[in-house]
Amino acid sequence: MKKFLATLTASSMLLLAACGQEGEKSGASTSGGGGGSGDKVIEVWHIETGEREKYFENVATQFEKANPGTDIKLLRIPNDAFKQKLSVAMSGGNPPDVFQSWGGGWLKNFVEQGSVTDITEQVDAAQFHKNAIANTTFDDKVYGVPLGISTNLVFYNKEIFAKYNLEEPKTWDEFVNVIETLKKNDIIPLSLANKTKWPGAYYLMDITSRLAGPELFESAFKRTGRGFDDPAYVEAGKYIQDLVKMDAFNPGFNGLPYDEGGSRQLLYTGQAAMINTTNSFINNIRAEAPEFEEKLGFFPFPSLPGGKGEMTHVPANTGPVFSVSTKAEEPKLAAEFLNLMTTKENAQIYTDTTGSLTAVNDAAPNDETMKPIYDYLATATHMQMPYDQTLPPELAEVHKDTTQALFGLSMTPEEAAKQMEAKAKEMLDK
Amino acid sequence: MDASTENVSVVKQQEILKTKKLVRNKKIVSISLFIAPAFLIYLLYVVYPIFATLGYSFYQWDGTTEKTFVGLGNYAQLFKDAVFWTALKNNAWVVATSVFVQIPLGLIMALMLFAPIRGLRLLNSIYFLPFLMSTVAVGMLWVLMFDPMNGIVNVLINVFGFENVAWLSDEKTAMFAVLLVIVWQFAPFYMILFKAALVGISEELYEAAQIDGANAWQKFQNITIPLLMPTIVSSSILAIVGSLKAFDIFYIMTGGGPNGATELMGTYMFKQAFINFNMGYASAIAFIMFFIALIVTIVIQVLEHRRKQKGGYA
Repeated sequence: MKKFLATLTASSMLLLAACGQEGEKSGASTSGGGGGSGDKVIEVWHIETGEREKYFENVATQFEKANPGTDIKLLRIPNDAFKQKLSVAMSGGNPPDVFQSWGGGWLKNFVEQGSVTDITEQVDAAQFHKNAIANTTFDDKVYGVPLGISTNLVFYNKEIFAKYNLEEPKTWDEFVNVIETLKKNDIIPLSLANKTKWPGAYYLMDITSRLAGPELFESAFKRTGRGFDDPAYVEAGKYIQDLVKMDAFNPGFNGLPYDEGGSRQLLYTGQAAMINTTNSFINNIRAEAPEFEEKLGFFPFPSLPGGKGEMTHVPANTGPVFSVSTKAEEPKLAAEFLNLMTTKENAQIYTDTTGSLTAVNDAAPNDETMKPIYDYLATATHMQMPYDQTLPPELAEVHKDTTQALFGLSMTPEEAAKQMEAKAKEMLDK
Repeated sequence: MDASTENVSVVKQQEILKTKKLVRNKKIVSISLFIAPAFLIYLLYVVYPIFATLGYSFYQWDGTTEKTFVGLGNYAQLFKDAVFWTALKNNAWVVATSVFVQIPLGLIMALMLFAPIRGLRLLNSIYFLPFLMSTVAVGMLWVLMFDPMNGIVNVLINVFGFENVAWLSDEKTAMFAVLLVIVWQFAPFYMILFKAALVGISEELYEAAQIDGANAWQKFQNITIPLLMPTIVSSSILAIVGSLKAFDIFYIMTGGGPNGATELMGTYMFKQAFINFNMGYASAIAFIMFFIALIVTIVIQVLEHRRKQKGGYA
């Protein structure tokens, strides 16, 4: 009797556990590659929608055809929830075989925990843009392949600019003039959805880079003399608060979520004229409001009076980056999948269909919207990766929190800089 | 009476006792067998995690690599952490709203359903509807309704001549806005509890009161409220414990922002665990949450016990 009970309990527990897992997985949307069914399953977690997702499906189908008996299971997770979900899976010891990231500090954190497979042997680092692969290489070992690269630009509505005889501003004064003119005509100058905090953080990064050049962040991050309380950071905070005080942004931006499209909607409908964001915005446009693309113009973030930064100092992002987790049952096969995803031919398809740039060398985009952005990126003398992806996660959080507070006018630039530097001392001085 | 008969009766008595014991033992065995599956699951999924959390809270740990023992270090840091105190204060707000707004509102809605109004069934469904929706959907829905420019809430207040309010974006209004949604979503739950309890109150009591000349208010005060007391108490426990554990709606609607204005113990714990990878620190927060909930529950139970001893209705 007792034995029977014990087995019953044990089996019911197993059943419960299984149900739990099943439920968790069905929470996100799955899309099989080509419906291949084999015993070797590679689970891939990503966050892309639209054409990018179709690209993954296409590569998965190719891979399943080339490797009979394998099954690529693509699992899409919404962007805002992804970081947490992957962290939970990683610390729970149940990560996917292949996962997306942005390289930088966030990936490095997992590398330091021993959760990411070293794929230096399997991939050819030379075929990627050197700044991009550097963002996934730690201690000379490659931990991920950067499929995509993107840059930040100020995108604007050409129609509105033409209507009010505005030109692309090159300096801060011109930028402020544009803002004033738009405001006079009841158009929101800059659209921002800052609940997620990173869209606002771009401003701090761009302004600081224009003020002090890329050396400041390098020095503050590597602890070689300057800090996050550098006068340039305080001044950058003041620039942000000036913009807020002149009502350059849409009201209530600090509570608007980016993923749901709060800020993009304002642009599509002509209620707002500009947005400072990554060029993956174009991917969004193609999915959400394709007719808007022909009205789209862009200019790099304007220069600041007395600033040491050059216009060729470009903010950039790697992503999607793909890595193999150490829990993967078939790490070699998974690495091959990454290789297939980043062949030159496939990368060309990626850049042509998705309206994004690839970090794979010699895959220049053919379409009219992307070409100028590619050319712009090609002239870059320095690429600044976003702070929140370079810094260790906890410090990145402080950076985003303090910047959001700057935007909300609930913290002075001095306070924000001080708080940031205090945490940096704690986390980085070891 | 000779010695032998006495002996026999003693033996008999002993035998009876033995069989009684046997029966009792048998009963214990069968009862525990019946309890065992549920009890094991309870041990594994409830008791063990509580103690494991307590254990983790003594370590500095990122979730995967080696743990470092720091004793009460996490707790010492926690009590100095300004964000934690904000979170605690916000949780107190949630508790207060749940107990003093949600429960009375639930009671009023339940009473209305017993009033002789036409179209009661419709009201019943309408009241209950919010509770049927998933919290994530409710959160998204209200984020759109609270939209600072085009949200329906702002359109409505414009009609009355007020300026647009950036509900979820302003540190001063964000907490209020989310609390409003919580009340909207959970008051129906208490309505159902009260409705069930109201059905259980015997009509005779009201008739007797009627004969004694009691008016509606007196009936409510002296019959309805005392007889609902057990339900009110259990609702309060549910409301308080639920509020202390609140997480989902805040996570969806504000993510603890802007600038930490709606941070709760739950969201802060989540942030420390899965964004900052401070599992030990997060465990300390989790344990404090458990501890507060435990204390509150004990206090309510003791008060309820005293009330019953004083001769209140069971």
